[in-house]
Amino acid sequence: MNEIIVGISDLKVSNNPGDALVTYALGSCIGVAVFDPKVKVGGLLHFMLPDSSLDANKAKAMPGMFADTGVIALFKACYAYGAEKKRMVVKVAGGANILDDTNYFRIGQKNIMALRKIFWRNNVLIDGEETGENCNRTVRLELSNGRCILKSSNGTVRDL
Amino acid sequence: MIIDSILKSVDMIPAFPAAVQKVAELLRDEDYAVADVVNVIKYDQAIAANILKISNSAYFGARQKIKTIHNAVVYLGRQQLIRAVQTSGISKIYQKGGKGYASQARDLWEHAVAVALMSQILCRKIQGREDPILYTAALLHDVGKVIMGEYVQEYFQKIIGRVHERKCSFLEAEEEFIGINHANLGGRIAEHWNFPSEIRDAIAYHHRPDLLEEEGNTNASLVYLSDQACLMMGLTGGVDALAYTGLEDVMRHFDLRMVDLEKSFIALLDELERAKELMHIG
Repeated sequence: MNEIIVGISDLKVSNNPGDALVTYALGSCIGVAVFDPKVKVGGLLHFMLPDSSLDANKAKAMPGMFADTGVIALFKACYAYGAEKKRMVVKVAGGANILDDTNYFRIGQKNIMALRKIFWRNNVLIDGEETGENCNRTVRLELSNGRCILKSSNGTVRDL
Repeated sequence: MIIDSILKSVDMIPAFPAAVQKVAELLRDEDYAVADVVNVIKYDQAIAANILKISNSAYFGARQKIKTIHNAVVYLGRQQLIRAVQTSGISKIYQKGGKGYASQARDLWEHAVAVALMSQILCRKIQGREDPILYTAALLHDVGKVIMGEYVQEYFQKIIGRVHERKCSFLEAEEEFIGINHANLGGRIAEHWNFPSEIRDAIAYHHRPDLLEEEGNTNASLVYLSDQACLMMGLTGGVDALAYTGLEDVMRHFDLRMVDLEKSFIALLDELERAKELMHIG
């Protein structure tokens, strides 16, 4: 299988059944994997921060950096390949936090809340999710069948 | 006892690269002679090769290809030279291990570089300047993992089990099952190398700067924050992941808000893009 790596603040979309989209080491960042089973189009986003108002210029250059601009860019890129929102299966992983979390470090949680708000506003349902806690996660989306595999730093591997 | 064999390993750890120490000493004097520095570097092949590589890297942005050590020393200048020599010397130390924490030694090194770069981003924000001593401490903060990795591998299931069931930090679980944590062990290694206390303590207390009694050593707090930020960004490569304690007093002490941390994430991502060569030296 041809592995396409999605870096931090990046997103990739493909309709090649031989591809797998992979993103490593999600800490507080969140990986959003989407797949349209009918046209077999999938996309993976690895966003880092909740809100693009922090740096509008960066958001323009790298929309995948923020939840709001990243999710829109991800869905639009999938539409360009023929995917339709109503068919898209959505999986979410990441948003971990350090321990004894105080408001000072709660970026993981802020990321989750921002993402939920965007999905809620746009009528998107999350079909599979593993967020929070304090582990690192790797997400892999296989384009041949839409299988989404989640690997956690605490040693578990499972389908999301 | 495990702790005895660990402490024995500290005594066995190779000397800190002599060329790095020597260059740091020479460069303490702002009026250093280029020839003296070249004379030290040229006898350490690995460092000499790395200095050339680094001076030609996008990070330092040379317009013309730099082909000799002499030109590299002149081009980089004092501040950057200190950084380049430290980076290349310390990369060798991390090559020795790290299994147990990371799948490959490279991951530990990449994390160390990310934390070192982040320490300078935060230092610029807080103190308006860079700090080579802080940079060194940040690069070395996880040096204890080089020795600890072997034992963490052996006790991994117990450690991770304890972290989950009791929500204690990875650091506390290390202490419980191995008898020492990787930060304190790093401090022992720094002591073995006769490092000044400001570097030693920054390493030993990089997860708990609140326990450092001595006031005024901000290095431990800055390494702590830089490390936490990199862990959050997923720049860890370690099984310990984010299982460390958040200390909001450290943020308060520097008058930092979450938005400052978020901005530092963006700054680091930019720097990492330019600093890729630093991660691939060795």
